[in-house]
Amino acid sequence: MSVREIATEVGQKLEAASGLNATLHWSAGDLRHQAEVVEAMGRSALGGMPVAVKDNIATLGTPTTCGSRILEGYESPFEATVIRRLREAGALIAAKTNLDEFAMGSSTEHSAFGRVLHPIDPARVPGGSSGGSAALVAAGVVPAALGSETGGSVRQPASFCGVVGVKPSYGAVSRYGLVAFGSSLDCVSVFGRTVDDAARVLHTISGHDPLDATSLDRPPVAMPMGRKNFSGLTIGLPEEYFPSDLDSGVRAATDRAVAAIRDLGGKVVPVSLPHSRFAVPTYYIIAPAEASANLARYDGVRYGPSRPDTAVDLRGLYRQTRGRGFGPEVRRRILTGTYVLSSGYYDAYYGKAQRMRSAIAADFQGVFAGGVDLLFTPTTPSTAFKAGEKTDDPVAMYLADIFVCAVNLAGLPGVSVAIGRSEGLPVGGQFIAPYLEDTLMLEAAGVLERNLPATEEVR
Amino acid sequence: MTLDRNAVQRIAELAEIAVTEEELPTLAAQLDRIVDYVAQLEGYDGGDELPGFLPGPSQTPLRPDVVNPVPLTRGPATLAPAWRQGYFVVPRVAGMDDPA
Repeated sequence: MSVREIATEVGQKLEAASGLNATLHWSAGDLRHQAEVVEAMGRSALGGMPVAVKDNIATLGTPTTCGSRILEGYESPFEATVIRRLREAGALIAAKTNLDEFAMGSSTEHSAFGRVLHPIDPARVPGGSSGGSAALVAAGVVPAALGSETGGSVRQPASFCGVVGVKPSYGAVSRYGLVAFGSSLDCVSVFGRTVDDAARVLHTISGHDPLDATSLDRPPVAMPMGRKNFSGLTIGLPEEYFPSDLDSGVRAATDRAVAAIRDLGGKVVPVSLPHSRFAVPTYYIIAPAEASANLARYDGVRYGPSRPDTAVDLRGLYRQTRGRGFGPEVRRRILTGTYVLSSGYYDAYYGKAQRMRSAIAADFQGVFAGGVDLLFTPTTPSTAFKAGEKTDDPVAMYLADIFVCAVNLAGLPGVSVAIGRSEGLPVGGQFIAPYLEDTLMLEAAGVLERNLPATEEVR
Repeated sequence: MTLDRNAVQRIAELAEIAVTEEELPTLAAQLDRIVDYVAQLEGYDGGDELPGFLPGPSQTPLRPDVVNPVPLTRGPATLAPAWRQGYFVVPRVAGMDDPA
């Protein structure tokens, strides 16, 4: 297939999938133009691979809105490093995808441009916040997509949609051009139809970038070599990730995956990460605190439409712009962040959360230092839930990320891979690796992918 | 109840976000629920012995102190609300005469 044919086909698939509301910007003309550029390159590493991109990653020529009214129509004057690297490797940037506003949410119901539908059951959510990217990969529109994680926003929707979701080690991929939410947590992450598709994209976008001071001075994440089994590997099962009230379908699928790991030569051992049960409250102090600072720039002067309806002073302009421009979840996070950082509460909340973050990271370090090569857990406590089910209770929504957000706090790599279905809906299993062991983690995910019938119902 | 309506109004002022009277009750209830939830860390006394944790490079990398050109994708004129003869046009500062 020529790159032009690939571009035409992906355009047709995007058109056919428009009912999912997974895309915010794309055009057939732009795809044609990109295809011409890639064909003129001759041979390239990705050879016209279509990659969809979450709309909080800056691209030239299309808007970057973060799913927010406050950035409606905004066009970035520069391009993210990950996009530049994809283009140089011959990828087609297929579409900008819908997301929870500023990547804050776990269901992609909090976009100013409407919710994204789950490709298998439109009454359900695809997960979030990178739900548009997950839905496009699951619907077979693109083989891979970029998302971003601050607290599980790629692995959780990957699990809900039955695709691969990789969150690399913090610092392995440049954040230059990723709109900031929680800077000590934010990480460009990758969806793939297969582990190999995701690994090819991760290999392309990773590696040192002088434009991001938190980028590690290391070569790109190496491709997995197609390991056949788990022999020689010790896989830890953290007891805190298998609670007694775990959804029965999720438990059955994870039990089957653990049996497969054993059958394929892995040594499976129980381990404990005692502080992980505090990961969600810790995350919901640190991430909103960082967000309240990062989102101060959307004030109607630096960013955002400056159209107060009455003559007001400067603070009135800020307040009107932000009051009208931010949706309910973003407002809740900014207000929570402002509160936990305010005088008199800083030590009680933020200081304590920082100490807990250290304890959570130390738990992981201790387990890995004790001879465990990888951890395996369910990715989410349930399969995809119904739209509207958790929108009235923010804390219930936050708990959808209970098995994913400790990894972000500890800066570790994690991957979700489909391990079966329960009542027709995908179930994801998660491998967590020591810092910078991203390739080993992808090897393990590949072994499970090749040995488990991921679309089969598990009882 | 940790946060009442007045407290939420005050936080919203600090955050520079306009909140209407009608929105306040629901917002206060939701924030109160969130703050109550995260307050479960209150009982935790450990972690003092651990070094502060931040992922990524151990120190901020420095680059050579060399002035480089910054290639702009679009010139400043396309970004400016108003532009005249190579300069940004800004509102008149109080007490100064408009040179134009």
